[in-house]
Amino acid sequence: MSTVALLLASASILLLGALLVLAGSGQRRRAGWMSVTFMGGVAILLWIVAVRTFRGGPDPEVTLLWVPGLQAGLTVAVDELSALFLAIAATIGFVTTLFAVEYLDRYPRDTVAKYYPVLLVLFLGIVGVVSVADFFFFLVFWEIMTLTSYFLVVFEGENQESQKAGLKYFVMNQGATLGMLAAALVLWREGGSFHFDDMRMAFQTLLGREPALAHLTLLLFFLGFATKAGILPMGSWLPDAYPAAPTSATAAFAGAMSKLGIYGLVRVFLTLLPLSGSMVAWGWIIAVAGTVSLFVGTLTALKQDDAKRLMAFHVVGQVGYMFLGVGVGLVLLPRNPLLGSLAVTAGLFHLLNNALYKTSLFLGAGAVHLRTGTRSLNGLGGLGRAMPWTAGAALASSLAIAGVPPLNGFASKRLLYGTGILGGEGAPFLVVLILVAMFISLVTLASFLKYYGSAYLGPPRELGAEVKEACFAMLFPQWILVGGCVLFGLFPWIPLSAIQSGVAEVLAPGSGQPFGGVLATDLGLHPTVGLTLGGAGLALWAPLPITLTFLALTGAVYLGLQRAGGAKTREVPIWVCGEQEAPEALRYFAGSFYLPFKHAFQGLYPSFRVHPVPFPAVLRRALNPDGWLYLPLARWMERVSRTVARSHVGVPQVYLLWIVLGAVGVVAVILLALG
Amino acid sequence: MLTVLLVLLLAVPVTGAVLSGVLRPGATRAVAVATALITALLASWGVLAVYPQAYQAALGSLPWLPGGSGDGVFGFLLDPLASVLLLVVTLIGFLTILFSTSYLTEKNRDHAVGPQDQGRYYFWLLAFLASMVGVATAPNFLQLFVFWELTTVCSWALISFYRSEESLKAGFKAILMTHAGGVFFLLALLVLFAFTGSFGFDALGRLDPGVRGWVFFFLMVAAWAKAAQVPFHTWLPDAMAAPTPVSAYLHAASMVKAGVFLMARTVSSGWDVPAPWGLVLGAMALVTMLVALSFYFVQDDLKRLLAYSTIAHLGYVLLGVALGAMGSVVGFRGGVLHILCHGFGKATLFLAVGAVAYVTGTRSISALGGVARSMPLTATAYFVGLLAVTGIPPFACFWSKFMILAGALEIPAPLGPAILILILGESLVAFGWMFFVGQKVFLGLRTPAAQVNSDPPLAMSAALVLLMLGCLLAPLAGIPLVRLLGG
Repeated sequence: MSTVALLLASASILLLGALLVLAGSGQRRRAGWMSVTFMGGVAILLWIVAVRTFRGGPDPEVTLLWVPGLQAGLTVAVDELSALFLAIAATIGFVTTLFAVEYLDRYPRDTVAKYYPVLLVLFLGIVGVVSVADFFFFLVFWEIMTLTSYFLVVFEGENQESQKAGLKYFVMNQGATLGMLAAALVLWREGGSFHFDDMRMAFQTLLGREPALAHLTLLLFFLGFATKAGILPMGSWLPDAYPAAPTSATAAFAGAMSKLGIYGLVRVFLTLLPLSGSMVAWGWIIAVAGTVSLFVGTLTALKQDDAKRLMAFHVVGQVGYMFLGVGVGLVLLPRNPLLGSLAVTAGLFHLLNNALYKTSLFLGAGAVHLRTGTRSLNGLGGLGRAMPWTAGAALASSLAIAGVPPLNGFASKRLLYGTGILGGEGAPFLVVLILVAMFISLVTLASFLKYYGSAYLGPPRELGAEVKEACFAMLFPQWILVGGCVLFGLFPWIPLSAIQSGVAEVLAPGSGQPFGGVLATDLGLHPTVGLTLGGAGLALWAPLPITLTFLALTGAVYLGLQRAGGAKTREVPIWVCGEQEAPEALRYFAGSFYLPFKHAFQGLYPSFRVHPVPFPAVLRRALNPDGWLYLPLARWMERVSRTVARSHVGVPQVYLLWIVLGAVGVVAVILLALG
Repeated sequence: MLTVLLVLLLAVPVTGAVLSGVLRPGATRAVAVATALITALLASWGVLAVYPQAYQAALGSLPWLPGGSGDGVFGFLLDPLASVLLLVVTLIGFLTILFSTSYLTEKNRDHAVGPQDQGRYYFWLLAFLASMVGVATAPNFLQLFVFWELTTVCSWALISFYRSEESLKAGFKAILMTHAGGVFFLLALLVLFAFTGSFGFDALGRLDPGVRGWVFFFLMVAAWAKAAQVPFHTWLPDAMAAPTPVSAYLHAASMVKAGVFLMARTVSSGWDVPAPWGLVLGAMALVTMLVALSFYFVQDDLKRLLAYSTIAHLGYVLLGVALGAMGSVVGFRGGVLHILCHGFGKATLFLAVGAVAYVTGTRSISALGGVARSMPLTATAYFVGLLAVTGIPPFACFWSKFMILAGALEIPAPLGPAILILILGESLVAFGWMFFVGQKVFLGLRTPAAQVNSDPPLAMSAALVLLMLGCLLAPLAGIPLVRLLGG
């Protein structure tokens, strides 16, 4: 089957599935399993598309639908970059749906008819966005995505907070989309079509003739994608909306939907911009925006005590790394195409990794929320005993997001830092940005130590009923993702070669173009990953041998120490200064972590309220002509008619008088006219 | 054959109207629904049969009107533009009447209507349907004018249907203001006939540019009054005193569209409207959109809010038409497509609000909250209508708005981009506010007024479902039709 056929099949399954689930939503569990089945089928199809594309290159594009008069067509074109996102969407879609089956029991008052059908259509939007080569339909799918995700954010009925967050989300994203629409229209006027290729030509003509307008269109695209991805300050909807949605949906947003902001950024900026000074300038803007976002987002995350809000701020922070990668890539591409495309690859690799561990983290927090009924880290503790499997997944994902080797977060951050620092030779400021990113890596670690420590470690809290371990359908998704984290950490060249071919395809479509071949051979993608520039190997990293050695060494030291000490493992009550205290008195609350940091970065995260502008009363009156024009006019007419009516008195003599007067008048006029 | 069909299109609703007036109350509803359905089917058939050509038929002329255009004074014209309006009028007309059969009963908690008033209601509604068919298929300005004034009369009767003090006043205001506009129409007719001896649409092109401009201006004033544009925008919100199906049909989907249809006819008759007048039309459309927007924020009655939104969207149509007058065919097509798309979207919104009022007995935004929990179908309809009207893809108005935007960019800078920015700004604010209200009324905490049992009865629900489908599918019918406009 061709790519188009597979995608059409997926789309039909998603749409029909949505209708079927809607019809069968009376039984919650049945609707859930139906959705899992549909999503699983779609995931398989999308994976086939992805693997086919990575193996055999992109299928020729096919136009399915043509909008007459607008020169817009539903053109399906899946290249390696699209295939990467299809694979991510397939995986995340399946695992988050599986998770939702039991998780949605948290909301007994809300029907699942508001969840599964909407979720299926959301993934239709996601698949559509990455599969089209026409900006008109890109926007159509983009809006379907925004629309459906809004309804997932406000899923919990009668929750005013989620309504507020949902409205903020929708309005901000709608504004951003309208901006992109305007930008697309400008290029459409120039090139006469919405196809990416035509828009590229149109943009380059425009850049030569009216550079200001060309850069304005890019700015609108940048704002649009940054808003969706959650880059601050445009992404300030994110920390409100993510916690408001059911966690299974939040995980899908974090894993798949917000990633499309990066997809759009890479697709548009790499397609439109020629290798020139403009590209460098935009690279700096994107890199700095990313750095600001990762700095502010992660430091604000450090202050959060609500598990989901903490993670939502980390989404803002993490997306900063991806922007940084893309930005560094754009800065370096004109000067050093190899290094530049590697930086973009690093950004996208980080995106892939982030999809894995961030989704897993959200799902873990959701499992804890379902079992304990709280998201507040101050109210949690010691869950490691009751929920060991959830705790294990949370630990692995926390370490991955913090960039601890040998997990995948380290692999992508390392590549990003490596390219940035190597590129810093000609652009020293890049090194500053990279240093900030490195520092923030530590902050991430600190933040997740707090999360893990206060939720899973320590003495258990009194949480009412006995807390049970999450069920298999909730654990399996987390562990699948953790498996991916480990796999990509130990064997980074598997995803890297795929991503790299995607970047090469966008930069130079078709084979035999400038970078395609060069990248694949020079990178030396073999057990050691590294850059070989000019014959010298740089930034080498061989995950598997190093990890195995490290494990063997620590194991040996641990065993050796235990044997030498001859100590037995025993459990004792906690005591302080020789006194035994109640566990509550000794607890180190989540809110007490990192107080100096909290004080130092007090007003870091901007918060502002929109106040309604009073509408001037004078203008209000002026805009309503009833008051000053029509009603006075009508009253005046009424008065005139009353005055005239006074002549009708009902006395025959008076009427006769009128007749005589009238006759005299007529005669007078005739005489005057004659005379 | 087609002529017979077109005559039937007029005759069937008229017959239905007369029957509704004389039959006993029980049979009235069945007759009304049947005639509306037949009319809708005939209209769809006619549109399909004619597509993609235009069909013109002359039926006769008046001996005492000397000159004439040679084609006669009476006849039919079914071209793509007429098809668009005809589809709106007949399809939404049928759905409105279907909705009304359940809405106008004694069970209505907002406004109970007894059996004795049914006949009067369906008589005027079907008479209105016939007049709108006449407006859509008119082959010249004279016939258009005749049916135009008939719609005004029907509108007056239907606004005053409840015969309360408020509705009588509103009906009187509406007929005064729209008829004042009609006088300008008459003036335009007289000038046109005096100079060319014809009422034909093409006669406009035979006038000197100066006179043509003035005729266009008179027609424009008539259209403004009919379509409730600034400065005649004050009658439409008061007309919300009418029963909700009437508001949905007359004052959102069809009668007010007659005004913008007239402008579309005029502009497309020869594409030679003097440029400054096109500019005036566009500027007033933008002013109307923004003025209407400014009234959104102070409304507490859902229907009045929708009325202001209607005013703004008629502004969109006129803006598209004005873009056509300024030389952008895409913009013109977008404007005409908006007639269809907005018709379905706004009718859905009104009828959803009507369903809420039917069940809860109130339309007050502040009194309602959390309605979705007990009325999921109605809530879905409201949101679908909302998304359709505010132009979120894949729903209807996205396509028409997009074409208007594209048309705006075809106008040279700085005018085109300025229009683009204003439209986008209006879109975003309107979208935000309407969504805010939707959230307040349908989601959120359930207020005492919203403690009700269920969605409305079957006929109303069915109409809502069909309208929702229309919100999604209208562009599929509309785009092939508007593509034929302007060559």
